[in-house]
Amino acid sequence: MAEISFRQVLNDTLREEMHRDENVFLMGEEIGVFEGSYKITAGLLKEFGAKRVVDTPIAENGFVGMAVGAAMLGLRPVVEIMTFNFIALAIDEILNHAAKIYYMFGGQTPVPMVIRTPGGGGQQLSATHSQNLEAWFAHIPGLQVIAPSTPADAKGLLRTAIRNNNPVLFLEHLALYNNKGEVPEGDYTIPFGQAKVTKEGKDLTVISYSRKAAIAHEVASRFERENKLSVEVVDIRSLRPLDRETLVNSIKKTGRAIVFEEDWRSYGVGAEIVATLQEDAFDYLDAPIKRVASLEVPLPYSKPLELAALTGVQELEDAINALAPRRRRR
Amino acid sequence: MAEVNMPRLSDTMQEGTITRWLKQVGDEVKRGDVLAEVETDKANMEVEAYDAGILEQVLVQEGETVPIGQVIAIIGSGAKTHKGGQSKKVSVTKQPGQTPAVQKDVAVEQPSVFAGISAQQNGIGTNGVFIKASPLARRMAEEHGIDLLQVKGTGPGGRIVRDDIEDFIEQRAISSPTAVQPQPEPVGVAPTGISEVSMGDAEIVTLTSMQKTIARRLTESKQTVPHFYIGNEIDMTEALKLRQELNAALSEEGIKISVNDLIVKACALALEKFPEVNGSYKDGQFVLHKKVNIGIAVDISSGLVVPVIRDVNTKGLRTIAREAKSLVAKAQTGKLTATELDGGTFSISNLGMMDVTDFVAVINPPQAAILAVAATRKTFVPIDDQPVIREIMHVTLSADHRILYGATVARFLKEIKHLLQNPFLLLV
Repeated sequence: MAEISFRQVLNDTLREEMHRDENVFLMGEEIGVFEGSYKITAGLLKEFGAKRVVDTPIAENGFVGMAVGAAMLGLRPVVEIMTFNFIALAIDEILNHAAKIYYMFGGQTPVPMVIRTPGGGGQQLSATHSQNLEAWFAHIPGLQVIAPSTPADAKGLLRTAIRNNNPVLFLEHLALYNNKGEVPEGDYTIPFGQAKVTKEGKDLTVISYSRKAAIAHEVASRFERENKLSVEVVDIRSLRPLDRETLVNSIKKTGRAIVFEEDWRSYGVGAEIVATLQEDAFDYLDAPIKRVASLEVPLPYSKPLELAALTGVQELEDAINALAPRRRRR
Repeated sequence: MAEVNMPRLSDTMQEGTITRWLKQVGDEVKRGDVLAEVETDKANMEVEAYDAGILEQVLVQEGETVPIGQVIAIIGSGAKTHKGGQSKKVSVTKQPGQTPAVQKDVAVEQPSVFAGISAQQNGIGTNGVFIKASPLARRMAEEHGIDLLQVKGTGPGGRIVRDDIEDFIEQRAISSPTAVQPQPEPVGVAPTGISEVSMGDAEIVTLTSMQKTIARRLTESKQTVPHFYIGNEIDMTEALKLRQELNAALSEEGIKISVNDLIVKACALALEKFPEVNGSYKDGQFVLHKKVNIGIAVDISSGLVVPVIRDVNTKGLRTIAREAKSLVAKAQTGKLTATELDGGTFSISNLGMMDVTDFVAVINPPQAAILAVAATRKTFVPIDDQPVIREIMHVTLSADHRILYGATVARFLKEIKHLLQNPFLLLV
């Protein structure tokens, strides 16, 4: 298998899907001539023309609304929102249209659209350009929310998203774009609602997604190399639908868990996972589940302050060391 | 707000019974104040306050027994004073306080919850004992038939977690390999016929902590320590004569040396020569103790205690007599401290005053041996082929065959015999 960057695999996948299905088309700000702020759409305007790679005005509510309409009429729009933070302008189209139309109109038409958007902090983009708002969307029935952490998962899940008949929020992370990894060739897809145990372990489980799942995997692998604790990592990949079974099976094995998320702590994805585990795995819990999340502040611009506010490797290591069962410490 | 936990007051303590509250709900408490008296497996002890404030809640009533680590009272500002607090309604809530503007990674401590365990579930009396255990630990305990009261919690706030259950299972496997597999019922024998018939006529006595400990420890000893026994007869005529002379000389000082004091001293000197008898078998190793600390079994109304005289080999008879007297008095009034009960390397059980001709004692682990001393009786013995009346005392040493062998024990007894038959050796 070839080692490909997260950025390249997204670009390849969009190209392949546009070749496969002529109804697939792209919309977004600066995705055509400029090839996208993060170059995910590089070369696609040249290859497919302006009809299928549409540069839009700076008006998220407008072009997300257009995408909903296009999807209702049989096209498969893939919309890029330049950063996750701008999605606030299109909330009504997503919440009240994309996620509701199939239900409210008696199943007359599905809304097969994808919104791709990069979120997350750590790039000194300050408070309004560094947010993780996935919990807002994962809360909405009728919407599917996907957040891969590896190039392979990005390929498999983006294909599924484009071919899926539901509106999908496909969450990318700025700090993952340059990550490289092996990617299966060919028509590789991953079903939604399947978490992945990215590393087996027996002392405790770290549950995460997106960039933090990649970090958790690194930390757990290092602990194993250094012959410390045996940490299992579960990448949920799909926030809605959530794979409860894989989470519960991991707790049955380890008895202890940490939810590691870049989002603010309160009312987050972590809270949902903790609630799920106490519902479905109560008899297997040996300790309260820990949430490791970021400071509940608008993210500062200053690099030292930004680092201090975002949760990271150190916070995860501390939590693992604090939670590990006594008899499993070496 | 501070929780007061049932402290661990001795090596072997697993639970304690509150015998008396010296502070009442609403009383002001200073650090170091005695809050309550606790009966442990070994003695009556005091629970001191580590925090100052108002005693807000008393969660364990007098007469109730709880495992170590369990919260027994709450000291706080007085705002939440619960008069006559019932232990069944324990709810420890955090002060709402100020919510920090900024939160990161700090797991907010959840209010402690003491899940109730009913008598049916865990064989506990109806006086409401609450055990803090993780759901996993609870499930494992049920699967393995473990009484959570027997398990020491090492998790936050004394919570019993998986580690503790695994420790317990391991220890149980080591101490009684047979206990894990139930013995098959003998065929053709009506099961429990006798006990069913007699149950109606019997009085059921609840054990004190001490009695529970005695039952547990001695069962453990007999089941896990391979005992063997060697006896000997000691001519105490000279020793009794010496004792009489010493006591006559020391009467003005108010010191009275007992026969047992002489035996303690003789054992101490012999133990110096036979370090294995003063040792322990532990995890495939012999542990040879440098100190000679002899426990003397004392009969008390509710059972048996074995206070320890330390460094006996370095002490004279005068000191031994004084210390033994004081320990016996404390034992009978329940005033022994944990240190006075710990650290024994050898024990003596003397039933001489009860007119016992002969008996064997059960080893007090981790010690390697215990000397059972019977009564001294006038006996005809042949001396130069003529019957002569001598004061003969029968002793039996129970020994742990993992560390001690027959010949060693025989020689050890011979040394004691030599010392007691030439009692002036006890003085130098």
